[in-house]
Amino acid sequence: MEHIVFGIGITALAGALATVAGSAEDTESNIGSQGDPNSQVQLAPQMGFLHRIFNKAVAGEPPAYGLWCCLGAGLAWAFMAMQFNPVLAIVLGCVLATFVQGVYATTAYVGRTASLAKFGQPVYVDILKSMTSVTMAHAFIAIFCTVTLCHLINTALGHPFPLPLLGLIWGIALGAAGSATGNPYYGKERQYQNQKFGAGVPISASGNIVRFAEAGERNSIDNGFFTHKIGGSASGICFGLIVFLELWRTVLFEQVSAGWGAIIVGVLIILIFTVIDRYIEVWARKNYGPYTEAKEASS
Amino acid sequence: MSVKVEVIEGGVPHNNILIAGLVGTLVCIYLTYLNVLTGTELFSFFGGLAVVAALVWGSHTIKVLCSYGIGTGVPSAGMIAFGSGVIAMLLATRFGIMAPVVALVLAAVIGFILGYVSNNILNMKIPAMVQALTEMAIVGALTLMGFAALITGGFTFAGLTSGSISVMGMILPSYQASFIGGGLIAVAFLLGAIAIQHPFNATLGPGWKQDRMLMLTAECGFLSMIVAAVMSFALISAVAALISLVVAIFGWIYTYQQYMEMSKRDAAAWLDAKPIPDVEAH
Repeated sequence: MEHIVFGIGITALAGALATVAGSAEDTESNIGSQGDPNSQVQLAPQMGFLHRIFNKAVAGEPPAYGLWCCLGAGLAWAFMAMQFNPVLAIVLGCVLATFVQGVYATTAYVGRTASLAKFGQPVYVDILKSMTSVTMAHAFIAIFCTVTLCHLINTALGHPFPLPLLGLIWGIALGAAGSATGNPYYGKERQYQNQKFGAGVPISASGNIVRFAEAGERNSIDNGFFTHKIGGSASGICFGLIVFLELWRTVLFEQVSAGWGAIIVGVLIILIFTVIDRYIEVWARKNYGPYTEAKEASS
Repeated sequence: MSVKVEVIEGGVPHNNILIAGLVGTLVCIYLTYLNVLTGTELFSFFGGLAVVAALVWGSHTIKVLCSYGIGTGVPSAGMIAFGSGVIAMLLATRFGIMAPVVALVLAAVIGFILGYVSNNILNMKIPAMVQALTEMAIVGALTLMGFAALITGGFTFAGLTSGSISVMGMILPSYQASFIGGGLIAVAFLLGAIAIQHPFNATLGPGWKQDRMLMLTAECGFLSMIVAAVMSFALISAVAALISLVVAIFGWIYTYQQYMEMSKRDAAAWLDAKPIPDVEAH
């Protein structure tokens, strides 16, 4: 009984860390315009819409966060193998991983923008300086929380995988959660505030992203500020629930019929969420109108 | 639909880069064998140089492949390179000193099969596909072997799977404190997979320049070498790891500066805190 209570405590702690990580991850990627909203930021200058949005295309979020978290975990593993204190090892590993993330971000922005020289899009050094440091700060929080929860899973819950492999798995999961949950809010709502609600992105509006702010010209910190309110929190809840439910079912039901209990509960959780998702989708369609008819979609 | 990508014009032909990359990588990997001959670990840093050489070749292969309009497939090209390469690399480590050559041959076979399946069974019909996937599997396998040599000082299976831990002053053998047992191979996998796709992904567009992309590849290679050298402190002697770290840091600083210079050369303008310029159309 005691080890189950201990396991549930670790599960709750890991879930809390994951919530923070998910929220920071989504904000980081939105400030960098990473993931699918990136294509419109990249396209805008070619359609004549020059902008001051940060364009940090390293890869999709899952592979990119797979690398940052795996790297942070690998470095932490190496420092622990050198007899460093785990807390210090994790912090140092995550600092180095964040350094790599920042370097990749600068080369991506500068490279992409230089290749758009034909359309007159300039490289903004102030954007490079201010946005990179803000994304690095958010990335550090995301990486640190993820590596810490991997360390908890490894040492406290006794997961057999080594720390770097857990970092890889949970890093990809973190990127996928942020990409799937947070990106639509940035890509469809924020970049296309000037379009009719629910209209999607019509071809005629391609690249016509919002480039001006309440005062002056919009930059990516404005986007991070905006999307953190809902997109970031939603991503945090998403990743937090993934980690919490995953560990919860393992801790509680692993002993039931030689491990099959945890698998059956996992399938049940997926079924429950499928029903919830379907209900929300139908509810949203009913309330926000049909978007299948072409005459209503093209405003 | 985002960017129009054109087939290479001008610059160094791909075959020259292929030959230089292949020879450079194999020579650098074999130079790490000096560790065995001299009984030290001081030559591990050649593994990192092998990684840089292989990545330069591989990123140009991605450019050749993705010239056929595979816009969003750039990051996935890096993943398939290493996914197919890791199989060949792991199997080849059983062959002792022949490991790099065996890895090359095995990876070529695996890459050829994957290319054949993509083109003829999945009907992708991309002219460069078979050759490009073959090359990328080789690049993946040799890059991983380079990382293994850099971090552990060798490329044999026994060296990659066994380490030692000290418990209360006693040195005990441990499979967990090793390149494969500790999962560092996962870090090497992703370091390489992101570093190989990033250069083309970050410089694609109408203003793509070969020298700028290849300089960025070298930068990514040295950056990966920095963190790999830090990890190698856990598995090889501190002096050897320090040599790798210093080589990596100098290489990275030089290539990063050169890349920024080239970007400044190619950019439309290099502005600091200036508003959006006026464009006539809007």
